[in-house]
Amino acid sequence: MSVRRKQIAESIFLNIIETDKFKTNYISVNFITRLDKQTASLNALIPMVLKRGTKNFPNIAKISEKLEDLYDASLNERAYKRGENQIISFVSSSLNNKYSLDNTDILSTDILSGIIDMFAEIIFNHDEFKAEYVESEKNNLIDNIKAEINNKTAYAVTRCQEVMCENEVYGTSPFGKVEDVEKISVEQLFAQYKKLLCESIIEIYFVGTCDFDDLFKKMSNIFSYERKNIIKLNTNVIRSAEKIKEYTEDQPVTQGKLSLGFRTGSVLPDGDYFKFVLFNELYAGSPTSKLFMNVREKLSLCYYCRSVPEPIKGVMIVSSGIEVANKELAQSEILLQLENVKNGVITDEELSSAKNSIINKYQELSDSPALLESWYIGRMLAGLTDSPEKAIEQIKTVTIDDLIQIAKKITLDTIYFMNGTLKGGNENV
Amino acid sequence: MFKESKLLNEKYYHVKHKSGLNIYIFPKDLTTSYAVFGTRYGSIDNKFRFNNETDYTVVPDGIAHFLEHKMFENEDGEDTFAKFARTGASANAYTSFNMTVYLFSCTDRFYDSLEILLDYVTHPYFTPQTVEKEQGIISQEIRMGEDNPGRSLLYGTLQAMYEKHNVRIEIAGTVESISEITADVLYKCYNTFYNFSNMALCVSGNVTLDEVVAVADKILPEQPEIKIESVYDKEDAKVFNNYFTKKMQVSKPLFSIGIKDVQIIRDTKERMKKSAGMAILNSILYGKSSPFFNELYEEGLISGPLDCWNEHNKAFSFTMFSGESNDPDEIFKRFKKYIYVMQNAGIHGADFNRCKRVLYANTVKSFDSTDDIANNFLNFIFEDGDIFDFVDIVSQIDYNYIMDLLLEMYKEDYYSLATIYPIEVTAE
Repeated sequence: MSVRRKQIAESIFLNIIETDKFKTNYISVNFITRLDKQTASLNALIPMVLKRGTKNFPNIAKISEKLEDLYDASLNERAYKRGENQIISFVSSSLNNKYSLDNTDILSTDILSGIIDMFAEIIFNHDEFKAEYVESEKNNLIDNIKAEINNKTAYAVTRCQEVMCENEVYGTSPFGKVEDVEKISVEQLFAQYKKLLCESIIEIYFVGTCDFDDLFKKMSNIFSYERKNIIKLNTNVIRSAEKIKEYTEDQPVTQGKLSLGFRTGSVLPDGDYFKFVLFNELYAGSPTSKLFMNVREKLSLCYYCRSVPEPIKGVMIVSSGIEVANKELAQSEILLQLENVKNGVITDEELSSAKNSIINKYQELSDSPALLESWYIGRMLAGLTDSPEKAIEQIKTVTIDDLIQIAKKITLDTIYFMNGTLKGGNENV
Repeated sequence: MFKESKLLNEKYYHVKHKSGLNIYIFPKDLTTSYAVFGTRYGSIDNKFRFNNETDYTVVPDGIAHFLEHKMFENEDGEDTFAKFARTGASANAYTSFNMTVYLFSCTDRFYDSLEILLDYVTHPYFTPQTVEKEQGIISQEIRMGEDNPGRSLLYGTLQAMYEKHNVRIEIAGTVESISEITADVLYKCYNTFYNFSNMALCVSGNVTLDEVVAVADKILPEQPEIKIESVYDKEDAKVFNNYFTKKMQVSKPLFSIGIKDVQIIRDTKERMKKSAGMAILNSILYGKSSPFFNELYEEGLISGPLDCWNEHNKAFSFTMFSGESNDPDEIFKRFKKYIYVMQNAGIHGADFNRCKRVLYANTVKSFDSTDDIANNFLNFIFEDGDIFDFVDIVSQIDYNYIMDLLLEMYKEDYYSLATIYPIEVTAE
């Protein structure tokens, strides 16, 4: 499914994926800026404060009532990183007007116009930030940062990335640190908000069906203001690890979490990243992958053992939840399976299974507006525009020899282990 | 049978296949096709008998989930995932309190994948060795769950509300309970619950009735209908305990408030109506536009939206909502007061209309993916209902019905508070 890309202003683009197969329209506005430990917390806090109230909708209750009236249109904010870029987004999914037929119809305008107005309201309609909203959202952001420990599986991956890249920009959390959030003042936050509007790259996505000239006109009106000092994107890639770092932390949990951080030596802008994608699927991405078949099915060491690759930064975290006593066993098996790929211990069946699996995943993208958008943002960050269909053609050409070459570039950088100090069972501490 | 909803602009077909299986086909012009093959058998079914057996069989906790894992192994030694890998389908399965579901999604070769699905789910193969291997894997799944505060909170709430009902038992069981599982017991459960009269197949996507039936003709043998009786212990209307607490590695206390309901409605349409009514009431009481949420949020008593869940099915019924707070007891106190005030002052008509619209809109939106369609469809079928009727039922709900629910479902005896507190940091 291809994307039509139209420029609205300097480094502001409207991307349209036209389809009438959904009952909903998907819109997102993405502010892309450089990840920087000085500004990460500020940027993460901005959408949280914007969502607290605007000039016309002074509190959450008023905003929520309006969105519920618009057939429960969602309008969610998020802050995340891709490579060494920080992305601040507002994302909405709203019912196509065709289905606004129930007997509670009280709309004076169509749903899409209503939701576009709400985007404008929330992003732009602020003369200042209320001190009480800033204080309260600072506390919420601090809570969110601290709450990362609640999800041990995700925490073990994040901590491994942080330990591995502690001296690189990528080691910065997209939410910043608690002490950074604490220091934020109302004035500083408002100034950063103005700066983000002016200087970031803005990518707007629309997936659905509407009058596109009208959409372009509305978006052009909303995003017509002075832009200057537009940021340049840059991610520093370290292609191979120098020496292996080991880091263990005790946690009062029952299960150990092992995360192995690798430098992949391959990144999306290289042009042949599709070979790495296939490697990853064969090694760690599917239920027929080497890690699933061996670490889980053959040795029955774990429930999950999978990898989280980062295509822009060129890192990959292989993560698993295991008995603490099985740490060495799991680690050596994960590394052994990587060696096997490097040595060409790959069957034709494994190759074709991995290809089928990736092709299926890429074809399924067209049924999910959020995944389609994620695909194209990733491509944009890598300076690419190719569609999933194009990538499928490339995937089909990959050979076992390609996989061996790709695997040989991969080096182990960091071994992170969360050492569970509790005994199992439902004991109370 | 063919059924259409003009409002939703959707249609489906139903056939009772000669094997005894009910098959539902939901044509949808999306790239991804999706199939679910499920049985009305979940973690709560641990005491049962079939046909005219004199004795009930009692099985270890977690066995339905264990069985689900084991179905992926085959007599020819090839893992089911490897079979699906050849057709390119993405396969999975899940077990809930009251059902076990095997599924796949694909963008190509749908009927080949459907053949694999129907074949492996109808061919159990268990040996002592493969059972033992699975105990290692599932033990780690259970340990992962034990370290998950959200999960502990959910079961804490259920264990506070329910004294005897099996919904208080963890779906995966415990490391101890699954160690009692043997191949023989697995066969016993399989032969009881995996009968076509207790199962259904739903497919959604770019598929046709004739071709699905042709695959079923090829794979599925005819099975005599059987009668299964699952026994669930009777519960008091009052909660078992009004408080549950546990300490875990969390950053801040988590709380969940459960509202127990033992009035299970037998009539399908009335039960669906109550389920819809409770969803509307939840959104009025705890949604982002509700005074309760806004008051707590503005005071900093909670740091995000209240996570709400209401369940009203043939076997159990409850409402719960959860969040993070430094003062769960204060939340519980405010909750009781809030309900009292709402019961006396009444719900605003405008709030009722808006929240009814929310439920309608979310029902329509759920028809945008073949995954949601097939899974929701199966849920409705296992409740003897019809997803198209649900939209009509929602539109017929009136203000008085919601007020009645608010007065009937909310009584102090029905409330439990569950909390997870952080482990105190001690000096090393």
